[in-house]
Amino acid sequence: MHSKRADNHTWRTIKSGLASTVAFISALLVIAPLGLVFFHLLVNGASSVNWDFFTKLPTPVGTPGGGMVNAIVGSLELLAFASIIGIPIGVLGGVYLGEYGSARVNSVLRFIADVLNGVPSITWGVVVYGLVVLRFKGFSAYAGGLALGLIMIPLITRTTEEVVLLVPNGYREAALALGVSRWKTIVHIVIKTASRGIITGILLALARVGGETAPLLFTAFGNRFWNHSLSQPIAALPLQIFTYAISPYDDWHRQAWAGALVLVTGIFCVNVLVRILTRGRTASIV
Amino acid sequence: MATPDPTVVERVERAAEPAPTPEPAPASTFQVKNLSVWYGDKRAIDDVTLDVASDAVTAIIGPSGCGKSTFLRCLNRMHELVPKTRVEGTVFLQGEDLYSSDVDPAIVRRRVGMVFQKSNPFPTMSIGENVVIGLRLNGVRSQKFLNERLEKSLRMAALWDEVKDDLHKAGTSLSGGQQQRLCIARALAVEPEVLLMDEPCSALDPIATAKIEELIYELKAHYTIVTVTHNMQQAGRISDYTAFFYLGRLIEFGPTTKIFTNPNERQTEDYITGRFG
Amino acid sequence: MTPHRHILGTFDEALASLRNNVLMMAGLTERSLERAMKGLFERNDDLCANAIADDEEIDQLEKQIDKDGVDILLRFQPVASDLRRVVSAMKLSSNLERMADQATTIARRARKLNQHPQLPEVELIRPMYEHAMSMFKDSVDAFVREDVDLARAVVPRDQTLDDLNRAASRTLIERMAQDPDQLRGYLNLIFVGRCLERVGDHATNIAEDAVYAAAAEDIRHQGVAAST
Repeated sequence: MHSKRADNHTWRTIKSGLASTVAFISALLVIAPLGLVFFHLLVNGASSVNWDFFTKLPTPVGTPGGGMVNAIVGSLELLAFASIIGIPIGVLGGVYLGEYGSARVNSVLRFIADVLNGVPSITWGVVVYGLVVLRFKGFSAYAGGLALGLIMIPLITRTTEEVVLLVPNGYREAALALGVSRWKTIVHIVIKTASRGIITGILLALARVGGETAPLLFTAFGNRFWNHSLSQPIAALPLQIFTYAISPYDDWHRQAWAGALVLVTGIFCVNVLVRILTRGRTASIV
Repeated sequence: MATPDPTVVERVERAAEPAPTPEPAPASTFQVKNLSVWYGDKRAIDDVTLDVASDAVTAIIGPSGCGKSTFLRCLNRMHELVPKTRVEGTVFLQGEDLYSSDVDPAIVRRRVGMVFQKSNPFPTMSIGENVVIGLRLNGVRSQKFLNERLEKSLRMAALWDEVKDDLHKAGTSLSGGQQQRLCIARALAVEPEVLLMDEPCSALDPIATAKIEELIYELKAHYTIVTVTHNMQQAGRISDYTAFFYLGRLIEFGPTTKIFTNPNERQTEDYITGRFG
Repeated sequence: MTPHRHILGTFDEALASLRNNVLMMAGLTERSLERAMKGLFERNDDLCANAIADDEEIDQLEKQIDKDGVDILLRFQPVASDLRRVVSAMKLSSNLERMADQATTIARRARKLNQHPQLPEVELIRPMYEHAMSMFKDSVDAFVREDVDLARAVVPRDQTLDDLNRAASRTLIERMAQDPDQLRGYLNLIFVGRCLERVGDHATNIAEDAVYAAAAEDIRHQGVAAST
């Protein structure tokens, strides 16, 4: 009888050990792609990330050297424009869903936003192509920024709504009980309390669209030179990487690796910033 | 035979005088008549009529779900935050109908302040900012005025000495009892006429509770206070009048000493002696 | 009397225990008085000794009732009728203890009287005894049954008892003047009469406490202005 219990115990220990080993290996498999990506980017791109990369324009086809300064600046311009469209509409939409509306209307709106979040980004590019590029007969920074902005709207709406809903009702009641009007309560108390979470949502949306390539293909289109007018095509980092990667030139390939490394590092840094902002509030972004 | 002591004679003569006419009933701040409240189809308050006395503490007691919080919230129209509420009957504040169509609920709430069960100082603001936020958001700009009100309110809430050097610190850095007193100061800063308190001590330890009870005792000289409590001994200690609610109806209302020594209604007696259920 | 029970069972038990102690103390006190008076009328020294011995138990019960009462106040913070009952029970116990002391005094006087030939004037005391005992029994009854009317009816009977005592004392004083050899005996009888008069006072107190417990009305000292 004693040995049977001992056998059971040994068997259970083995099973337990197997389970933890399998879990550990799975965790490694999850982390592995990130490690692989970074490794490859570093190996292939680090050597080409130099001062020229950040300061020089692309050289003519076939000529080695040059950089991607116009693409980096272009990406930042597009993000700025997208923010002007995406942030106000997204935040206000999120506030509406969190504060106003009826249960039925809100669930419909939420569903639509979730669907839009899942729409492939190239679709947005096609839509803006039809609405803007064809109408105004040309690719432009406006079109690119609009496409990115439209992607940002449902993203920011949903994250804003979630943090607004997380604001405890007690604060709203306390403000209203002081005789403060409803809209002032929302602006000065609710949004202020949720501001950290709202900013987090905005940063995550920026990180997401900063790396989008497909919607820019038929809107911003790309530019080998500086963009001088927003109604002209404009370069963007992901676009430039795409163009260089499918080209037959080694030098451009190397620059594409460098561009990819810079892009991933940028997104990585934004995520770290988000982590820092949300630290010290015990897993709450409010 | 010795001459009788004059003071004794005086006392005996006074005892033989007829009793003086009773003082008139104290002024009342709220006059509630036939108040009924529905949440959707459910009737939460059923035909309640009572007068809340001025500059006194009225306690509202009753088992869970009896409508005492709903009734409290009717006094400053906070129950309207719940959708689909319907009100019948009238609530008069110093003779003005609170529910008439040309009355702005925000104005009502400025005159009738409220302190909640769980203290809720605004997390993004310092102690000082918390106290004056009501004034600021209602348009007061003068920093001098705000500073004066800040000190006055914190003194009234018996918190000034403890926080006067820390006004810039976060409101949430205080202890539970201090936070609740901060909320009281915040409510007092807008100078209401009435202070409503919804179980203000139920989340606090006994010492913090005692400090708040002492504070209520001091405040009632200047404010009409209505407090909901499920602690019978507290109601007995701090209140001048007590209203007993059950299932949305007002079962009995009267001076606290009467309710707690010899209530009229059997239900009241059963509840306060713990025979309920 | 209390159709509903407290949610806290221990509260009900504590109140019941307090009530039982009061009943027991009342019973013992009644028996003490009866024994003392019977020892007087039947010239039985054993009965007197028993009455004196019972006093100790009655004293212990008074202490127990007060202790239990304070305990209930502390633990349960009673209000309304519960509070009145507890407070009245504690006051009752002190009245009963004093009545038992009166019984002891009567028993001692009776023993002294029994050492001498019987005095026929003993019979003067009998109506007082019966009156006082009936007041006592009614007041305790009224307390136990929370019978406000019965309790109220006890109070004016104290006046009758006082009158009986005054009459008996007057007669005994006259006898003392007429028959100086029996002076001590007559004095002892006067003291016994006074004890019974005090028994009546205590019974009145019990009745007043009974009214307070049952109806929250304080009917004490209402006849002061009228009787001065």
